[in-house]
Amino acid sequence: MGVAQLIELAVGGLAIGCIYSLIALGMTMIIRATGIVHFAQGEVVMLGAVFGIVSLAAAKLPFLVVLLIGMALAGIAAAAIELGVYRTLRMRGAPLANIIIATVGMSILLQNVVQLAWSSEPASYPKLFAAEQYSFGPVRLSPQLLWIIGLGVVVMLGLQAFLRYTRTGIAMQAAAQDPEAAQLMGINLTRSTAYTFGIGGVLAGAAGVLLGSLFFTSFSMGFLPGVKAFVAATLGGLGSIGGAMVGGIVFGLLETFAAVWVSTAYKDAIGMVLLILILLAFPQGLAGLFRRNR
Amino acid sequence: MNREAFSPRLILLGRGLAFGLLALVPLVVHQEYYLHILSLAFVFGVAALGMQLLLGYAGLLSIGQAAFLGIGAYTSALLTKAGWPFVLAFVASGVLSGILSLVLVPITRLRGIYLAVATLGFTIIVHLIFTNEEWLTGGTLGIMNITALNVGTSKVAGELTLYYTCLLVLLAVFLAFHRIVDSRFGRALQAIMLDEDAARASGVNVTMLKSQCFVLAALVTGFAGSLYAHHAQYLNPNDFTFWKSIEILIMVSVGGIGSLAGAIVGAFVGVILPEALRAIDQWRMVIYGALLVVFMGFGARGLAGLFAALVRRMLPSPVAAPNLERASVRS
Repeated sequence: MGVAQLIELAVGGLAIGCIYSLIALGMTMIIRATGIVHFAQGEVVMLGAVFGIVSLAAAKLPFLVVLLIGMALAGIAAAAIELGVYRTLRMRGAPLANIIIATVGMSILLQNVVQLAWSSEPASYPKLFAAEQYSFGPVRLSPQLLWIIGLGVVVMLGLQAFLRYTRTGIAMQAAAQDPEAAQLMGINLTRSTAYTFGIGGVLAGAAGVLLGSLFFTSFSMGFLPGVKAFVAATLGGLGSIGGAMVGGIVFGLLETFAAVWVSTAYKDAIGMVLLILILLAFPQGLAGLFRRNR
Repeated sequence: MNREAFSPRLILLGRGLAFGLLALVPLVVHQEYYLHILSLAFVFGVAALGMQLLLGYAGLLSIGQAAFLGIGAYTSALLTKAGWPFVLAFVASGVLSGILSLVLVPITRLRGIYLAVATLGFTIIVHLIFTNEEWLTGGTLGIMNITALNVGTSKVAGELTLYYTCLLVLLAVFLAFHRIVDSRFGRALQAIMLDEDAARASGVNVTMLKSQCFVLAALVTGFAGSLYAHHAQYLNPNDFTFWKSIEILIMVSVGGIGSLAGAIVGAFVGVILPEALRAIDQWRMVIYGALLVVFMGFGARGLAGLFAALVRRMLPSPVAAPNLERASVRS
């Protein structure tokens, strides 16, 4: 395999890895703040893609605006689900296992509502870029992939800045680390949890628009990436923001290279074997490499 | 461990009555379709019992049960096709499933969500093997014309044989688990679930017990898989995606985590409800999802808990119900 091909593959793996990272980040934040494994996160991704494609059909908007619309609406939807559903369950004293199963129910519900309300047929985003491929010497790259990497990185940097420099972001981190102490310091837990789901939704919405524009958009598009992102988040060590980002990117690269070097049929299996091995070596995920006891 | 407020004898009577009624159903219901659905509910009852042992008694959240169901199903299908009698193939399914689960034994030391993800990975790997190893499993085409269980010659006799075989296995597994959870082994498992470190400090061999529990659950799920193969008479790799694991998990949660009888009831709901909702066709899964969400708010112990509360209200009980909240998933 030539160097050019290697670079092309790496870029493809990075792009899909960025998408996994975006989803994994939301899941990690939710797990950290509430302990909930949000199986419906993939459906929030799907909502972002569908909102994007619907807004694009309504008006000829530039891609960046579509991305922002998808992010905003998916964020609002996720926060509404938390406030309307999961919070109600918690208030009723449902144990964590029940809430996790309820997120599976939410995932089934959202998929089928979208199938009925929008379409059961997959749809494609219109062609976004004039150039078919950029050429750098012998290396040919699709502009789509480069945009996904660029936008993914911008969104992730934005998240870091938000968590570090804004009052809301700092409050969210505090509430995730120690809810009781945070509450004593005057942080509204209900609000901060809703923000967590909302921000997670914004990230998932971004992933949705990017993923939808790369492949296609359908009511069932989110489930598998959601599961893979969950695996990626675990790989990175649940509860660590940096871990989720690295986990997503590592998982995307692994998947892409495994498909080429080992076997297309078993590409998912290779990722999983590595996942199990890594968990055996570091029961706390990759983040355990740097920080032994959490 | 008897957590109910009413007497053990009453519970025994109720359970005996329930199984007795199920044994009598074919005398009243003659439609093969209904018997077929009920048999499937028994099959998943067995699988749900395995999951209940893991989740409800040892606190191990596994999303890998579909893999063991599949291993059992394919083993049984292939062996009976090779001429083995059903009973031997059935035993072999469970045993092979149990042996293969030994591969996963090292991961039982993972806790909470990490264990869930590792078993999820195992399910995905096994599903891919079912899909890709065409020489063995028939690939995506699956295996067709699996031997039906039939002691007679007519189709009705076949349906009845299947029905009673599944019911018998369910009863046997239920009784076995009933003894197991009350044994020293079962009490040690519950100690692990409530506080792993304290159990270890009290001299419980945590790793060993967790592994044994895992293998036992895989064994039973393999049995369920064998029944599944002869129930459906057709196997497809897509019957054993991790979604099936989630379905089994849903059954246990709906029935009530920590209750063996609840797991069986949950399996009935999990099998029969989607069938019953077929009438409303396209809204079916919307309703199913919504019911699942709503139901999870109904209390920690699912249908078993609701039922216990109902009976308690009707029968004045001298003993106050102990309020044991279970920490089921811990990370």
